[in-house]
Amino acid sequence: MSDDGDILGYLARGGKLSAPDNAPPRYRAELMRLMASFVDSELAGAAGFADCINLGPGVKERIAAARIVLEKLDHAERVLKIMGAFGANVARYQNVHPWAARIGRSDDIGVTRRAGDMRLNVFHYPIMGWTDSVVLNVLMGTATVIQLSDYAVMSYQPLAEAFQAILPREQRHAELGREGLDAIGARGPAAQKEIGDSVDYWFPKVAATFGGANSPRTELLRRFGVRRRTNADLLDEWRGRISVALGSSMRVWGGRA
Amino acid sequence: MAQFYPLTVTDIRRDTRDAVVVTLAPPADAAEAFRFIQGQYLTFRRRFDGEEMRRSYSICAGIDDGVLRVGVKRVDGGWFSTFVNEELKVGDTLEAMAPMGNFHVPLKPDAARRYLGFAGGSGITPMISLIRTIMAREPKSSFTLVYGNRSTSAIMFREELEDLKNLHLGRLNIVHILESEAGEIDLFSGRLDREKCDALFSRWIDVKGADLAFICGPEPMMLAVADALKAHGLPETAIKFELFSSPRTGRAKPKTEGAAAKSGGACAATIVIDGAAREVEVAAAGQSVLEAALANAIDAPYACKAGVCSTCRAKLVEGEVDMEANYALEDYEVERGYILTCQSYPRTAKIIVDYDQ
Repeated sequence: MSDDGDILGYLARGGKLSAPDNAPPRYRAELMRLMASFVDSELAGAAGFADCINLGPGVKERIAAARIVLEKLDHAERVLKIMGAFGANVARYQNVHPWAARIGRSDDIGVTRRAGDMRLNVFHYPIMGWTDSVVLNVLMGTATVIQLSDYAVMSYQPLAEAFQAILPREQRHAELGREGLDAIGARGPAAQKEIGDSVDYWFPKVAATFGGANSPRTELLRRFGVRRRTNADLLDEWRGRISVALGSSMRVWGGRA
Repeated sequence: MAQFYPLTVTDIRRDTRDAVVVTLAPPADAAEAFRFIQGQYLTFRRRFDGEEMRRSYSICAGIDDGVLRVGVKRVDGGWFSTFVNEELKVGDTLEAMAPMGNFHVPLKPDAARRYLGFAGGSGITPMISLIRTIMAREPKSSFTLVYGNRSTSAIMFREELEDLKNLHLGRLNIVHILESEAGEIDLFSGRLDREKCDALFSRWIDVKGADLAFICGPEPMMLAVADALKAHGLPETAIKFELFSSPRTGRAKPKTEGAAAKSGGACAATIVIDGAAREVEVAAAGQSVLEAALANAIDAPYACKAGVCSTCRAKLVEGEVDMEANYALEDYEVERGYILTCQSYPRTAKIIVDYDQ
């Protein structure tokens, strides 16, 4: 017979769970939070990008945007199914918040979550035009890939496997973003200035999605075997990757934020 | 909401002194719901002393065997396993949910994969399902099972495994590790621990040549096997774990201090989380238990705040609340005192809410 203490020790030492039954209450709760945040972000992200499909300059770009929207919805559905195994009401959850709703462009809501809508706060801000959507996709897509990579070996195996399957597609979304950004950057200085302005707007908001350097929640998740790397470590990797991506499309950009 | 179906017990076979294998038949109109994937389990419910309890047991049959059966080993003090071992008889009905679980990988009929399986005690039950299915559906694949038990008499499915091995000579290998019996070879006696694994992996089992490993048993055994597999070169993503579906033991009620009832409509709520109890005031005017906890900087879990996701679930240990909406908790959970704290408003001057249960 096991009690929660044994299972927490087992998780801390690298043990894995494959079904909801053995998840201790606090582990369950943290896992649910994490899944809700992912599902809400994918649903809200898809809702935001859906409005951008027609802003794409050509059919190729519109296909890329439509594909990103489709696949983000699919990713939300996959993880929501796992939440359902833990007791969430899947049918009601899908419309529990207005995913397409956005706040004002210049509002500042910091990192505080809003009334049960667990989307990352970056997805509360509105996208202004095609270049803006591509910049957000590059910045946030790269962040998502780095964050998911850390979750893809987590102690709850069904979710780890879902993230392993999702990861290459999110990687492709970020690549599509980088291709789009290169195309915009090649148009000349005016387009590059537009990219720069969008980067200035989104960079700190995306950086904030990595969480604080000394987050007690991250430490708890690491003890649970849900996370491995620290927030600071992930953020560093993101800064590095972003400066490479932006350097290639703007040639001059060296990291203004 | 979970749906339960009445399954008829069509056979009970005593497997060891402490374990039975129960064969079940779903109702004709639910046959489709009980098609399972190898390695999945059934969750049963039954009332004991007026309280609904649930227990899960792995299905121990291959997906083509046309039969639904579970192996139930009696656990000391385990009410359901004792009931099944001592009272259940052919013709009785057991209520179960459709099969669930993720202890499998998709089958590839043309693949020639090398599987490793590690079972401790009744951890053999899902392995039976995996082995029978893989032998039938992946004719080019092989499976090596390492199976640890206290003694020969405790080995579940002993004869069946022997038969399977003979039927699939060269494809199915079985290594028994027995704790209390010194065999002719030291390698095969003792516990399935890290040392034993290291010895097996250096002399008997080629881990590097394996594609996937399945582990099911008690926690220390699973950790030891997984560590050894990784050390011998198997990638972490190739290791599948199934922790025993063991009932969690009850826990003593947490100590509370200064929990005097307050007057004036507000409620004194004791919030227990991460083993610590804190008292907070829940305002009379429409403040939920969750909001009161959050307002007092307690890191209570929540997500949707709409009674849908069940992240904020906790047990109401004392007092009464009104739950405004509940789209997630099932009746049996509510009966046992679980509440969605985002939807709960105190009805009594004092409540105790425990997020650790």
